[in-house]
Amino acid sequence: MILNEEQAMLRETVAQFFTEKAPISELRSLTGAGDEQGYDSQLWSEMVELGLPGITVPEAHDGLEFGWMGLGAIAQEAGRCLVASPLLSSVVLAQNLLLNCGSDAQIAIYLPSLMSGEATATVALDEERFFNPDAVATSEVSGALKGHKTRVLDVGQCSHIFCVAERASGERGIAMFAPSAEGVTIGSRRMMDLHSADSIQLDGVSTEDVVWLAGDDVEGGIQRTIDQATIVLAAEMMGSAREVLERTVAYLGEREQFDVKLGTFQALQHRCAHMYCELELAESAVSAALTALDHAGPNVSLLASSAKALANDCFTLISSEAVQLHGGMGVTEEMDIGLFLKRSRVCNQLLGGSSYHRDCYARLNGF
Amino acid sequence: MSQPESHPLSKEPLAEFRADIASWLEANCPLSQRQPIVREEQIWGGRRRVFPSQDAQQWFEACRDRGFTAPEWPVEYGGAGLNAEQAKVLKQEMTRLGCRPPLYCQGLWMLGPALLVYGNEAQKREHLTAICRGEIRWAQGYSEPSAGSDLANLKTKAEDCGDHFLVNGTKIWTTKADEADWIFCLVRTSDVTPKQAGISFLLIDMATEGVSTSPIPLISGESEFCQTFFDHVKVPKANLVGELNGGWAVAKELLKHERKMMSAFEGMLEKPAMELLELADYAVGSDAQGRLNDAELRSDMSRHLMRETALGQLGERIYWQGKAQQIDPRLPLLMKHLGTSEAQAKDELILRALGDEGLSMEDPNVSAGLRKMVKQWAFNKSLTIAGGTSEVQLNIIAKRALGMPSGEGKS
Repeated sequence: MILNEEQAMLRETVAQFFTEKAPISELRSLTGAGDEQGYDSQLWSEMVELGLPGITVPEAHDGLEFGWMGLGAIAQEAGRCLVASPLLSSVVLAQNLLLNCGSDAQIAIYLPSLMSGEATATVALDEERFFNPDAVATSEVSGALKGHKTRVLDVGQCSHIFCVAERASGERGIAMFAPSAEGVTIGSRRMMDLHSADSIQLDGVSTEDVVWLAGDDVEGGIQRTIDQATIVLAAEMMGSAREVLERTVAYLGEREQFDVKLGTFQALQHRCAHMYCELELAESAVSAALTALDHAGPNVSLLASSAKALANDCFTLISSEAVQLHGGMGVTEEMDIGLFLKRSRVCNQLLGGSSYHRDCYARLNGF
Repeated sequence: MSQPESHPLSKEPLAEFRADIASWLEANCPLSQRQPIVREEQIWGGRRRVFPSQDAQQWFEACRDRGFTAPEWPVEYGGAGLNAEQAKVLKQEMTRLGCRPPLYCQGLWMLGPALLVYGNEAQKREHLTAICRGEIRWAQGYSEPSAGSDLANLKTKAEDCGDHFLVNGTKIWTTKADEADWIFCLVRTSDVTPKQAGISFLLIDMATEGVSTSPIPLISGESEFCQTFFDHVKVPKANLVGELNGGWAVAKELLKHERKMMSAFEGMLEKPAMELLELADYAVGSDAQGRLNDAELRSDMSRHLMRETALGQLGERIYWQGKAQQIDPRLPLLMKHLGTSEAQAKDELILRALGDEGLSMEDPNVSAGLRKMVKQWAFNKSLTIAGGTSEVQLNIIAKRALGMPSGEGKS
């Protein structure tokens, strides 16, 4: 539930790195084209140099084995600066999908290039208006993949797409192909939070251009990967929520009206105190989920749903209140507060909104 | 508070300690005392104590003799001298076996911890031992009709009469004062400003002439609380805890423990007739997939259970931070407000699910267990008021956790 000494040091290093190299002004300056499609490739190279792709990877695969609490701390620091990077798409989603669903040979071939930053990958899960990983219409028919995927993160600069699809056998599988493969059309989209989530149209991608992940338990591996990514995204959201609450409390401590600091008003103090309670409550659920990943604890799906639902609700509350409490400044582009607001709404939809996770939680608890 | 070296148990490694505790509990806790506690069978101690059964008495006495009524208190005052980790092991083992808490007492949860810090040696010896042994039952005399959240405004006066204080005034919300033997009180001993600087902490034997109590009927149909009156009550000077006019510091120490207790009362309370999930299924039914028929209730229950679990996880975070000496002092400030409001959220779910059966506290056609849940819903409205209202908690959080600036007209 708490960071060990190494993890705490890493957190400090990364916090300083993001503050210096990836302030929100950098996110705003991304043009959304070429090397800056989705994220700044130069920033990503430096993140790779810090070893971030290897944080949770076992030492047996040349990873750092720093643990999920460690990765959660990094995600939180990234969240504080709203960093756009393939940390979630390539490191958390794609690498773990490979580790959870790939054969030993496939892991040996593809993992090193992802960890070294030579390659990046993304995972195509979603197909519908809302997150629903069980609804997969994309399928292999007569030796070709057909379907439509949506909200695929950071496709623009990726070298591999891991796509959840129904195989000819009727089982779910993971098809890996290059974004340049024939039959793949990418509809790029910059979301309101300035991160990218694209759609992918598959019009008969030849299975000759596809590698199917060949591990023992692909179905279980997909669920496991979704749980892992959901928990890390929740951690990132907690970092953003903490940052925007701190900015708001600081603003109330400076801004004067009626000849007093706004922060002296009890009505506003209580709203901030309430937000802080919600923040630490959600943070506790996220820490428990990260800890469960580290210790291979039971009920990971349950903990993931709790963490994400609480993080969604908390970040939604805090980002809305932050805009309101910043008054007129809160709705201007001059302040970054609006970006936190937008980011929170985007994060809500990624990997499941609160009603989705409350439904999962009820189902897993049998009610 | 703990003195690890004062007790032979403390020298054992923890695994051995756990095994020792487990076998001791097996040998000493009768099976009947491993059943979930019901309110009528809680042992509150005191001069007029009665045991609901021989088993209950045997279990109480076994714990008393081993110091397990107050595991973390020093052995010389009747505790077991366990350190925090050992106490946690004891609690875990008791929870595992389902052992009932051997003693319920405000002296144990509130006065004792404050006496350990502020009491003199004679007071510790006299009162801590009597508390551990269940011989004296304590009540708390803080609030007054005109001093609630603004506690420092209290008016009950203790006049210096040479060898004793003469106490006049009244205290309100004194829990079960009509069954208590002694009461610890905040009294005014000076009219200086600030008001906090004229308050002293006094221990008063309720058998003294001039002390009387009157129960207050509550919206739950019960009367947990009393008003207590002091009419020319003579209190020996030896009963002053801490410095004269230094009672506020003692009160603050004690309030910490009250808040801790109110946020961690789980397990000591009577289990409801039905758990939430069972109750919801009983009340609204489920479909073929096992989903509750009321979709909104189902979603709200998920939300509540997630939050309730997260509260436990917040407690764990605090525990691990303490263990690793990476303490975030802001976190404990949140427990009272979060814990009590979530308990109320649960009560609201229960009442909503009960529907027609939740409309009366007296309907003889509704089972006693369900009626108790309705009464609990009403009684638990006091959780966010007693021991520092939620509004006071939010003031404290804004000031101490968020560092927001002080304004006018607030504590």
